[in-house]
Amino acid sequence: MAPFELAEPHTLSEAIALLNAGDVPVRAIAGGTALMLMMKAGVFQPARLVSLRRVEACHAEITVMPDGGLSIGAMATLSSLARSAAVKQAAPVITQTLKTLSNVRVRNVATIGGHLAHGDPHMDLPPVLTALGAQVRTLSPVGERTRAVADLYTGYYETVLADNELISEVIVPPQSGSLAAYLKITTRAADDWPTLGIAVSLQMEADIVKAARIVVSAATNTPLRLEVAEQTLLGTTLDAVTLLRCGDAAVSSVELAADAHGSAAYKRELLRVYTQRALRQALAVQL
Amino acid sequence: MSATRTIHFTLNGDPVTAQIGTHQHLVEVLQAQGLTGARESCAQGLCGCCTVLVNDVAVSGCLYLAAFADGADVRTIEYAPAGKLDVVQEAFIECGAFQCGYCTPGFILMTRQLLDAHPDPSEDDIRHYLSGNLCRCAAYPEIIKAVKLAAVKRRG
Amino acid sequence: MKLPIAAVGRSIPRLEAHAKVTGHAAYVHNLSVPGMLIAKVFRSTVAHGRIRSIDVTAARAMLGVFAVYTGEDIRKVIAEPYYGPAFHDQPILALDKVRYAGEPVAVVLAVDTHVAEAAAQLISAEYDELPAVFNEVEAMTSTAVVHEVLKPAGTFADLKHLKNKSGTNIALDFHLRRGDVDKAFATADHVFEHNFRTQQVLHLPLEPFATVAIPEGDRKSGTLTLHSSTQSPSFVRIEIARLLGWPENKVRVKVPYLGGGFGAKVYIKSEALAAACAMLARRPVKFATTMEEQFYMITKHATTLRIKSGVTRDGKITARECEVWWNGGAYADIGPRVTQKSGFTAAGPYEIDNVKIDSYALYTNLPAAGALRGFGIPQLVWAYESHTEMIARELKIDPLAIRRTNLLREGRPQATGTLMRDAALGQVLERLATRMQWDKPLDRGTETLRRGRGIAIGFKASISPTTSMAIVNINADGSCHLYSSTVDMGQGSDTAMAQMVSEVIGVPVQKITVVHPDTDVTPYDMATLGSRSTYHMGHAVKNAAEDARDKLFAMARELGLSAETTPIPDVFKKKYGMQAGNIVGVGSFIPPYTSPDANGQTTDATPFWMIGATGAEVEVDIETGEFKVTRLVNLVDVGKAINPAIVETQISGATIMQLGFTLTEQMNFDAGHVTNASLADYKIPGIRDIPPLMENEAVDANQKSGPFGAKGVGESGTFGVSPAIANAIDDAVGVRLTSLPLTAEAVYRGLRNKAGNPLRND
Repeated sequence: MAPFELAEPHTLSEAIALLNAGDVPVRAIAGGTALMLMMKAGVFQPARLVSLRRVEACHAEITVMPDGGLSIGAMATLSSLARSAAVKQAAPVITQTLKTLSNVRVRNVATIGGHLAHGDPHMDLPPVLTALGAQVRTLSPVGERTRAVADLYTGYYETVLADNELISEVIVPPQSGSLAAYLKITTRAADDWPTLGIAVSLQMEADIVKAARIVVSAATNTPLRLEVAEQTLLGTTLDAVTLLRCGDAAVSSVELAADAHGSAAYKRELLRVYTQRALRQALAVQL
Repeated sequence: MSATRTIHFTLNGDPVTAQIGTHQHLVEVLQAQGLTGARESCAQGLCGCCTVLVNDVAVSGCLYLAAFADGADVRTIEYAPAGKLDVVQEAFIECGAFQCGYCTPGFILMTRQLLDAHPDPSEDDIRHYLSGNLCRCAAYPEIIKAVKLAAVKRRG
Repeated sequence: MKLPIAAVGRSIPRLEAHAKVTGHAAYVHNLSVPGMLIAKVFRSTVAHGRIRSIDVTAARAMLGVFAVYTGEDIRKVIAEPYYGPAFHDQPILALDKVRYAGEPVAVVLAVDTHVAEAAAQLISAEYDELPAVFNEVEAMTSTAVVHEVLKPAGTFADLKHLKNKSGTNIALDFHLRRGDVDKAFATADHVFEHNFRTQQVLHLPLEPFATVAIPEGDRKSGTLTLHSSTQSPSFVRIEIARLLGWPENKVRVKVPYLGGGFGAKVYIKSEALAAACAMLARRPVKFATTMEEQFYMITKHATTLRIKSGVTRDGKITARECEVWWNGGAYADIGPRVTQKSGFTAAGPYEIDNVKIDSYALYTNLPAAGALRGFGIPQLVWAYESHTEMIARELKIDPLAIRRTNLLREGRPQATGTLMRDAALGQVLERLATRMQWDKPLDRGTETLRRGRGIAIGFKASISPTTSMAIVNINADGSCHLYSSTVDMGQGSDTAMAQMVSEVIGVPVQKITVVHPDTDVTPYDMATLGSRSTYHMGHAVKNAAEDARDKLFAMARELGLSAETTPIPDVFKKKYGMQAGNIVGVGSFIPPYTSPDANGQTTDATPFWMIGATGAEVEVDIETGEFKVTRLVNLVDVGKAINPAIVETQISGATIMQLGFTLTEQMNFDAGHVTNASLADYKIPGIRDIPPLMENEAVDANQKSGPFGAKGVGESGTFGVSPAIANAIDDAVGVRLTSLPLTAEAVYRGLRNKAGNPLRND
């Protein structure tokens, strides 16, 4: 790594101003775990880093909103999310997901804003938050915007975020009456990047599915909603035949890529089986 | 703004002033202070050999910019306020929970954090909490025993 | 003065336990000396090519760079800069051509790691690419030749015929012939033939390679001190002295603790480059690799194995033919020895009258392969224990029964003709059967989660003939020093050796200091490898301790004191009038060994046999092929354990390491380029990968020729793991895997094939 200018502004708006540096490479750094890897590997050599660790403390707050939804400051660490009673109550699937997300030390410093902005399709929370219908608030010189997490990603390590646009807050809508699950499938060691991630969320009325979201990640360039598969569930009681049909629909509605974790053909079979297992797990969750 | 700077922090209870480069990570700066317990091995935050406590929070020192330690309370395996081994260290010795010893400081620091969070950890708690530490000698069964013993000793 | 303290056989904590839990234990990776330069290597980007040009201009011009050297610069201090234990084939920096992607081509020296790294990135090179060969079987006949001329080192007499041989990639071929396999195949009730493959993996000690080289004086009359993370300080001294054309006394090699070795750090690795740089720069130089660079240093051979057996209808093996092709990569390292020594036992621990073994060490354009915890044995056991199981299943014979039928018995000749002595094969197999409750039916699981179990047993000849020397010094106050060049890389040798000294002299372990390898101080030892130290160095240490004790007793008697009851300090006080003087005992050991004849036959193949067996239980998810090893039972014969607790940790650690080589570890290549050179993408076992049930046992045995009945420990746990798990998978779902690693996808594909509905290959 080579020396660079390190700015440590005290407000988010100052930080955004510092991200404008013309042609030289500038990035914001929060927990920095992912960025440090890129810098150490020589993939990214900054002229300036803008540290967010001194910005207003409110950007790390996690609160339950009056409607029962969650507001998570972008600077909240993944550990603080994992420990948060509010998160566990409002969206237990997030708490569950964090248990096998990277490791304790990474979670201790990595922030949810950085996690979402990184654009690596192997990350665990983008599919989960997409399934939960979450949004992010972003800040840039142009002003504040609200975007769906589902719309953040345009490709492998590519997001819609402008170079000087920062995520300031994550909003998880109220999940009352909905069931959710996330399965992270690793095919090498137990602790690994996922071969496949599957997040599901179901709105049930009595035993009938009223709405469903199924999101696949890791084997695709971006987290992807499988709407054709979702359709197969509506109006059903998630009986065995429906689950099978849903697994098949999931497989036929998406192109999966082969890599060191497995062939595309094998990942399709994992998707077929784990889509059904994720739905079963969601059903088994006691609200 | 310069690419070098002076930082002040507390290192194992003592105030320290260090000249650092902005690009340096915490382990480099600790080694310049003569400490050897935190080591860079995998360089990716996966093995835990570089574990350091910053304001009582465990971080991977090799992924942590030294500049961010400015004003912080930094503790390493060398921190021994009582001048003797703690129960975790004792348990690691009693259970033979290491071979080459290269990963041992990281495991011990993480075990202390684990026991702070879970005073009576289940085997599942132990395996999940320590999943970010690697031991190539694979003393894992002994490490699990040592964590359980340390938990008993702490409660005892 | 000899107290009955019975130090041997006790599970005392490691001598260095306190230093390791407080972070104070010394490793070369942490070493820094004043004026030290940091070396960073620029590596080849092609797998095979003639070097057309190397441009170091920009790197040299960078602020903070002290020097940049290429292969031609090295020649200024070392005329023939080629090194290696079996062949002098490896250039310190590439000369004329590169033979694998990742080979060192140039080196930057700078005062700062970051500067050295940045400068190395400014170097560029152009190559005329040559056809490359990557597969070991193709290398037998490939027109792509890795080395134009073979250069055996001359250290080994049996390699001399290879000198100046050209146009071949075969670095060594080993052949064993016993009886007449063809005749036996012709008359056998059944003949089975199977092919197997193992993948290229590597050691990855968490402390990577590191050497600090410190020159003193001038190039002609000076000296060179190397602090190095080596398992073989004596060899490094000899090899560096040879390269420099110096006598051995001018090179000093010092070794603190090692952060793991596993065979990676044997012979000579980071030392040659560090030494050459220090000689050129006349400054201390540190060459420490990163984790990523370990993938370009040394690996474990990928192998292709063909094995054929003639069997009677009741399961007696009458003939076995084995062909093994070892993928040695671009440089021989110790590969030829792996090829030969493991060739001795390629047919397995069975009494077979007709045996034919052909074992080939091949050069390819991949990172070099050497010895990794087992010297080739785990690859062979993988093949012969899978093969044995396949025969049993085909003949509907119980897997335990077929092994019982064929197992070598005490005093019977092994394939080399050497008689099995002190080899508890039967005991190990029977204890395994008992612990696995083999006679009781197994819970077979559910419709979708099927359970199965498997066993495997293997053995290994030690590396012979090799020499160890030791010195034991008794101080006037009764404390002792042990001088030995055995390297403690985590296996606990310091502790075990101190226990032996304690046992002989009657001094408590706490009063014994084990002086770490320092070739100016500690005497010669071949190396810390191949599970040889407890036996070879153990003998030398015991001899040295006995020599010191005998001298002490003699001195006491001369002074008219009772040798047995007078406290040691009193003997010295009476002799020298004060607390003064010391007694030095020396010991050496080289076991008997007879070189094999042209048919691989010898009466003395090894001083001792290592034995390891594993039983595995698995649970297979038939919807996905995913499986869990739910129980792993490991049995070994290590003779008498010097320190039972440390021995158990060794068994367990070896087993888990082999579990990684079985399930998760694999170097991936694209046209010779490693594509997963990091712990993020090359998965070693973590704490969540350990089976919930692991049981380890050293059977109650005694190596009569060993020191205190002991023999080697470090490798035996690896032998049976891979085939035991594959056999258990077969038992659970009827899918036979013949390639490592064993993956869920391979199991799933096997299930689909069985169902007549193969999975697509995209």
